[in-house]
Amino acid sequence: MAAKETRTTISPAAGVAELAHFGSRILTGTRLLNQVRDGDVAIATTPKDLVWQEDKVSLHHFRPMTQCSVRTPVLIVYGLIGRWTMADLQEDRSLVQNLLKLGIDLYVVDWGNPSRADRWLTLDDYIDGYLHDCIQQICAQAGVSQVNLLGICEGGVFTTCFAALHPDMVKTMTLTITPIDFHADTLENRTGHGFINVWTRSLAPEDIDNLIDANGCLPGEFMGAVFNQMTPMRTLLKYNIDMLDMVDDEKKLMNFLRMEKWIADRPDHPGEAAKQWLKDLYQQNKLIKNELEIGGRRVDLGNITMPVLNVYAKDDHIIPPATSRALGDKVGTKDYTELALPGGHVGVFVGGRSQALFAPGVATWLTERE
Amino acid sequence: MDPFEYAKSIADMWALGGKALLSAQEAGVRAMGTAVAPGMLPDMSMLPDLTAGMADLTRAGQSVTELWSSATSLSQALARKMPMRGGEDATVEATFQKMADPRSWFSVTGEMDEVLGRMAEGPRFSDLWDVERRYARVYRAWLNLRQRGLEQTAVVLGAWQRAAQLFGEQVGGAGDTVRSADAALHLWTETANRVLLEMQRSEAFLEAQARMIRASTELRMAQHELVEFYGERYGFPTRRELDDVHKTVTELRRELRALRRASAGRAAPASVEPASVKPARQVTKRKPTPRKARN
Repeated sequence: MAAKETRTTISPAAGVAELAHFGSRILTGTRLLNQVRDGDVAIATTPKDLVWQEDKVSLHHFRPMTQCSVRTPVLIVYGLIGRWTMADLQEDRSLVQNLLKLGIDLYVVDWGNPSRADRWLTLDDYIDGYLHDCIQQICAQAGVSQVNLLGICEGGVFTTCFAALHPDMVKTMTLTITPIDFHADTLENRTGHGFINVWTRSLAPEDIDNLIDANGCLPGEFMGAVFNQMTPMRTLLKYNIDMLDMVDDEKKLMNFLRMEKWIADRPDHPGEAAKQWLKDLYQQNKLIKNELEIGGRRVDLGNITMPVLNVYAKDDHIIPPATSRALGDKVGTKDYTELALPGGHVGVFVGGRSQALFAPGVATWLTERE
Repeated sequence: MDPFEYAKSIADMWALGGKALLSAQEAGVRAMGTAVAPGMLPDMSMLPDLTAGMADLTRAGQSVTELWSSATSLSQALARKMPMRGGEDATVEATFQKMADPRSWFSVTGEMDEVLGRMAEGPRFSDLWDVERRYARVYRAWLNLRQRGLEQTAVVLGAWQRAAQLFGEQVGGAGDTVRSADAALHLWTETANRVLLEMQRSEAFLEAQARMIRASTELRMAQHELVEFYGERYGFPTRRELDDVHKTVTELRRELRALRRASAGRAAPASVEPASVKPARQVTKRKPTPRKARN
């Protein structure tokens, strides 16, 4: 049987009008794109000062925007996949600025751009070395003996390990979109969610070793391709249909370009640390089992006795909520709070709905524990 | 070049070119063997047999060719069902037709192939007789990578065909409800996305991609081995030597950090007063200025 005819027609006048309107949008968009220079697409612009650096790692202190409401400083710790600038992407959607405006004394650690020369750096170096040094430096500068840690994604794993190994140096720990049980993606099995978990488990441990040995690192470009696979049709549409929808709207276009700039900034992940990340955590799930070793010491989640705020995104396809929420049953504190935010992995930071919930939620929680 | 031409030309080129190369090498070895004392040159049986690899590549290429031909026919059938309006919809129509073209599928999943290819296929080498076996290893690894790439292509094409069939059924069943190119594009996007995500979690795709990653790594290692050979011969620092130096530097830094901590601990044994800790390199805090901070 032949399929139904679905073609429709349009009057010549209406067609010409549509075409003229479309042409006008394209013209405006082309003008806008021609005027924009890379320097105009600025991200992470909140004023800050470099206060310490070692090797490629640097520690920055944000300048206050209002009177301090929480004396204990907060250190933002991002991971080695991507960069912390996601937390300060644009002025009106910036976790950094929102926290500063609520009186939080804020620091951030930037891991720099690791190269092949950094292939031997391990998670131990980052957690027990650089992060430890950063915290000591903040304590020295602020005249305190503890800090509040705010870990994001892989950086949340760093802070979790540090808090378990050095609980005396951590006043509170806030985690954001952080995987703790790397196999909990199987609990939900939502289509398109947890692909990295499935993908990493499909590789043999020796494949990971060889990949890292051959490249000396886990290339940022490689991880970018893996991320793109997670949203296949979105990747296909974003430079044609999506861009056409916003090309004549300067604000939308600039937001789009800022996000593109952040996505394009993909540092390489130091090799040995990447082996630990992929094998010890994603494959063998050692963190939730209290089997991960950092600096020759076992990371026991039960040693996390300080207050914990666990922030996760309800529609996070990269870090499924169940992988984050698993922490609740393992920590050694009764002061454990979860904050579920609307949106996905990146939407938590740049989504309109989360702006009113994220920073105020964190600031209030910190103030109550100061 | 589309994947159809790609599959065919790659398979043909390596099947014919490889055979010719091996024949020439075999003749060369025999000629050299008679000219030079026996035992100085490798026996022909020691040379790697690459013909099996070429046959596999040819078979993989044929499979992709057949799948590609079928997928293209399906794509053309779908395009004929596309609602046509013109005006602003013309762009959507063009995008839809482009996306319904099997080639567009490789701009996402093929990205991994491209990245792996770039990672593996850095330098290119000319033929030299005395490093033949090293070149042969590179050649074989390259063949293997191409074959694995074609296998993955076949898996992706299969998924595309499933998506196209589903879409065709939905359009046929929906009748007049799919009136605009926009609606068709939306339906196609949803359908293709779902099928592609399902495919990516399938054992067939994950295995194909793991094999491709393995092949890419093997090629890169084979190239490294060849470069190391030249490096040692001509006195260039090799990758392995540099890695050793970097390892030493990293270990020294660790020791330095530990010593610094121990030293700070001895300086202030009564407490863990952080102010007593001297950082590796402390940056003097600047007075706030209106200019933007460095990133």
